[in-house]
Amino acid sequence: MRVVGVFRNVVRTLFMAIAVMPILTLVEAKPAFGSRTLVIYDQRLTELDSYSTFFNSLKERSHELTYRALGNDSTPISLFRGEDRLYDNLIVYPVRSRHFNKQLSVENLLDFFSSGGQVLTVTSPEGLSDNIRSFLNQLGIYPSPRNYYVNDYYHGDENNTLYLTKGKSLNDYVVSPGDYNLVYKGAAALLDNRQLIIPVLQAPKTSFTLDSKQSNEEWTIGSEGYLAAAFQSLHNTRLAWVGSEVFLSDEFSASNGRFAEELTKWTFGEKAVLKSVGFTHHHASGASYLESPYKVKDSIVYEIGFSEWNGSSWGPFTSDDVQFELRMIDPYYRITLLPSETSSDAQYYTTGNFSLPDHHGIFTFLVDYKRAGLSFITEKDVRAIRHLANDEYPRSWDITNSWVYLTSIYSVITVWVLFVVLYLSLRKPKTVETGKKNN
Amino acid sequence: MATSCTQKHLIRWIQLLLKCTIFLSLTAAAVSSRLFSVIRFESIIHEFDPWFNFRATKYLVNNGFYKFLNWFDDRTWYPLGRVTGGTLYPGLMATSAAVWHGLRKIGLPIDIRNVCVLFAPAFSGVTAWATYHLTSEIKDSGAGLLAAAFIAIAPGYISRSVAGSYDNEAIAITLLMVTFMFWIKAMKTGSIMHSTFAALFYFYMVSAWGGYVFITNLIPLHVFILILMGRYSTRLYSAYSTWYAIGTLASMQIPFVGFLPIRSNDHMAALGVFGLMQVVALGSYVKSQVSWQKFQTVMVVSLVFLLALGISALFALTYFGFIAPWTGRFYSLWDTNYAKIHIPIIASVSEHQPTAWPAFFFDTQFLIWLFPAGVFLLFLDLKDEHVFVIAYSVLCSYFAGVMVRLMLTLTPIICVCAAVAISKLFDVYADFSYFFSSSSAEKPNLSKRDRIMTLVTKLTVCGSFLAYLVLFVHHCTWVTSNAYSSPSVVLPSRNPDGSPALIDDFREAYYWLRMNTAEDAKVASWWDYGYQIGGMADRTTLVDNNTWNNTHIAIVGKAMSSPQEKAYDILKAHDVDYVLVIFGGLIGFSGDDINKFLWMVRISEGIWPDEIKERDYFTPSGEYRMDAQASQTMKDSLLYKLSYHRFPTLFNGVEGIDRLRGQNIRQVDIGNLDYFEEVFTSENWIVRLYKLKELDAMGRDLHTKGEFDRGSSRGIKKRVAKKPLLDVRV
Repeated sequence: MRVVGVFRNVVRTLFMAIAVMPILTLVEAKPAFGSRTLVIYDQRLTELDSYSTFFNSLKERSHELTYRALGNDSTPISLFRGEDRLYDNLIVYPVRSRHFNKQLSVENLLDFFSSGGQVLTVTSPEGLSDNIRSFLNQLGIYPSPRNYYVNDYYHGDENNTLYLTKGKSLNDYVVSPGDYNLVYKGAAALLDNRQLIIPVLQAPKTSFTLDSKQSNEEWTIGSEGYLAAAFQSLHNTRLAWVGSEVFLSDEFSASNGRFAEELTKWTFGEKAVLKSVGFTHHHASGASYLESPYKVKDSIVYEIGFSEWNGSSWGPFTSDDVQFELRMIDPYYRITLLPSETSSDAQYYTTGNFSLPDHHGIFTFLVDYKRAGLSFITEKDVRAIRHLANDEYPRSWDITNSWVYLTSIYSVITVWVLFVVLYLSLRKPKTVETGKKNN
Repeated sequence: MATSCTQKHLIRWIQLLLKCTIFLSLTAAAVSSRLFSVIRFESIIHEFDPWFNFRATKYLVNNGFYKFLNWFDDRTWYPLGRVTGGTLYPGLMATSAAVWHGLRKIGLPIDIRNVCVLFAPAFSGVTAWATYHLTSEIKDSGAGLLAAAFIAIAPGYISRSVAGSYDNEAIAITLLMVTFMFWIKAMKTGSIMHSTFAALFYFYMVSAWGGYVFITNLIPLHVFILILMGRYSTRLYSAYSTWYAIGTLASMQIPFVGFLPIRSNDHMAALGVFGLMQVVALGSYVKSQVSWQKFQTVMVVSLVFLLALGISALFALTYFGFIAPWTGRFYSLWDTNYAKIHIPIIASVSEHQPTAWPAFFFDTQFLIWLFPAGVFLLFLDLKDEHVFVIAYSVLCSYFAGVMVRLMLTLTPIICVCAAVAISKLFDVYADFSYFFSSSSAEKPNLSKRDRIMTLVTKLTVCGSFLAYLVLFVHHCTWVTSNAYSSPSVVLPSRNPDGSPALIDDFREAYYWLRMNTAEDAKVASWWDYGYQIGGMADRTTLVDNNTWNNTHIAIVGKAMSSPQEKAYDILKAHDVDYVLVIFGGLIGFSGDDINKFLWMVRISEGIWPDEIKERDYFTPSGEYRMDAQASQTMKDSLLYKLSYHRFPTLFNGVEGIDRLRGQNIRQVDIGNLDYFEEVFTSENWIVRLYKLKELDAMGRDLHTKGEFDRGSSRGIKKRVAKKPLLDVRV
């Protein structure tokens, strides 16, 4: 019932979406999950005016920006009212303020992030507060500490500024492919191995990260360092980290602008956002599970619809690598789904008819679509596949092999009946001999 | 003449009336002594297996027989499911459903639960009736009445048939006695009707209890012994052939049995004796046709030949897999250590342990020493039917010594033999007709002194045996009310002031599960509680008391004996939402999971000998301890952590005292629970429920997350940024 309901809702929204479509297209680009954006910056480090291009670009994408300057006060920054998030997105500029750790604790940041708030953290060798650092460390991003600059004798200058010609994004969903001429000055980060981290911009092979004030061990050497990284949690909330403040500034917007815009679009859910519009599975004949529960070797169809947020509305998401799994601990089937119908806001995929395994049990109908850079989609439905009932096996006379046995059974019966009849009717009375036999 | 005729009629009527009264009072005694559990506690299903039977009965009543027969149960053995309709003995459920429908038809709509609770007491009356007839065939109706009285209140039988003990045995013992009764009648008379009845009741028995194999082997054994004794007769031929043909064909109609009667070794004896019977019949025909000398050579040669052929065919068929080899349960009947070494799952059940000697007295009181006397008296007579009783006695005495559970099948024959002994005794000593007979012709010449001495002797013997009988009744009542009436779902206990109290933790926890968790939540627990969770909490379980899949049980055992991060992965892979553990350390409940833990370890060691090793769970000196000396593997194991989580907080927060094991449990050993969170603990801490935490959305492992949360709540923050040691990013 639930599945059917979901699907009906999907159809309804589909119709509504079609109806509302003309109005929607007039509206400009906006984030999929809300546009209340808080910008936190340190007055002593950051001049907001020098980021006007960046902020204008955000405003054009209908972000409602709230600025919060940090100075010498230590009033806490509240991201929540009760249990409700006050902001959908958070941008944190480099902060040096000593009070910041208390104003916004790591737990607050983690709560904000895990409750669905998207975060863009910009750090720099001058401003990397402890709370932001531990927060990033929890996600597996380890930016170089204060005063560590990434440098490169081949691509940079003595001011630790890197000039990356033909800089390439490592993930096409986060930043669309192409050659970018980027200017970068700041920190590099080490990334751990977890799959939720999406490296975006890698440090050049010839780079290294060193403390500018005293000689210490290098933080990163060569391409183990990253200059920008993204992160998507299992709940599809997103975070991006850039280790350079000037990377976003007006000064370099001519070169970095598009890269920065793509990165923020991804972070704030303006692109590469997917959702499932519901799934359904039923007998190939059209009967639902409720009407007739599945049994082994039944022919089944599984369908699912995917939508993608294109910045202003939900549209179909087309891909050839969506897979369906029929699992009972291990997958019994893994079927690549084929696109079937396309509506204005969703692309539907189908397995086509496939026959259930010859094994009864409780199976999970699973689509687990996880691609780095795209929203994760997991659709699960647990259903029992029963065994054949006692009267669903072929009858004995349908099996040619059994004819020989049937023949013998019935011939024995017939002969026995004949024997009894003959014995009873043909028996002659005979005199019984008395006396001992001595043969 | 006419007066004596009416007198005879009158006596017959009085006898009938007396018999009816005796039977009515026997049934009343049988039923009422089984009602202790309902009066002491309440009308509730007992123990473990009855919960499954109850659940299955409800399914049958709600869905009808066809659906019941093809029932695929997706709420047990997740994710394998259980073909329940094809793997149970439907006799019990079918009978109570029939009773339920019948009562409704006559306008008595009774809750199915009450039908199930009162099922066993009701059938105990029928058992008494069948035992009466059986014993009447063996000796006479006086012995029959005694045997019926014994079986009605013998604790050995009551242990499995109190109200609420809705188990297969409740009906199976009745059917066992009815089948044997008909078999004895058939064997004595050669009546096809009686042996057909024996076969039909055998079929009923097959549909009700796996123990039907006992009949399958006992009747052929009886026949075999009779043949060896040279007591072959056409009566025996027609009785056995009819019983075997109809009984076997009928038993194959039960889905769970299927082709076992012709494929399993357990049933081969019956088939072999059937074959032998035909050969012997042929032999006796030949014997009647040819002379004795010729017949002797023919017989010897053919016997040797047939025996050799039969045995080699059996071995060959078993070797090539056409006949299933003997089951583990069968081997463990002969070698009590077999199960412990090869199939820990069977040995882990307490009712499969060898019987302690006092149990025999406890369960049958003075019948146990009358039993050999009765067997001896039967030896003196040694009619065909006595051979049956002797074979039954010898076999079952052995079996009951090997497995506690089989005490149940021994009890009826103890009652029969003891009744034979006592009635023989009373035949001799309670015969006072001699003193009342008026005719002097019957009086032998005895001195007055001798006559008085005879009277005194008779009175002493009768008096002492009457006293024994009275004691027996007292003993039975006491045992029934004190030992066998506890539902084990609710535990009796005492308040500090001595007043009775009930420990109701199980139902409390199961009710919590029912009301507070998602309907499709999966609960992992040791298999003992599977049926109860299914029946009382209505939640999906991984394993239950139908231990059909050893590997699946071993998975749960492995999870319980592994460190929590490993256990988490195992349980998560099986979609588990909750883990239920039984902990008796607070109030000293001895049947808790830690006491069963070694079985979990052994069973999983059987499957994963490289990962789980029993030795690691003992202290270096080989002790099974939970305190500071416990081995690290024990302290790391999931069961240890789940059992003792937060336990020291009840004391001083540092050390708690486990009252069951009398050991001090230290908080440092318990450590932190990062992968599970406690959601419910019952009043006396017997049932503890944990929920598997969700995967961390940030991709940290839950231990790291736990460490971080604890660190930050204590206000510890790393000030110095150190270069992390990371694996190379790939």
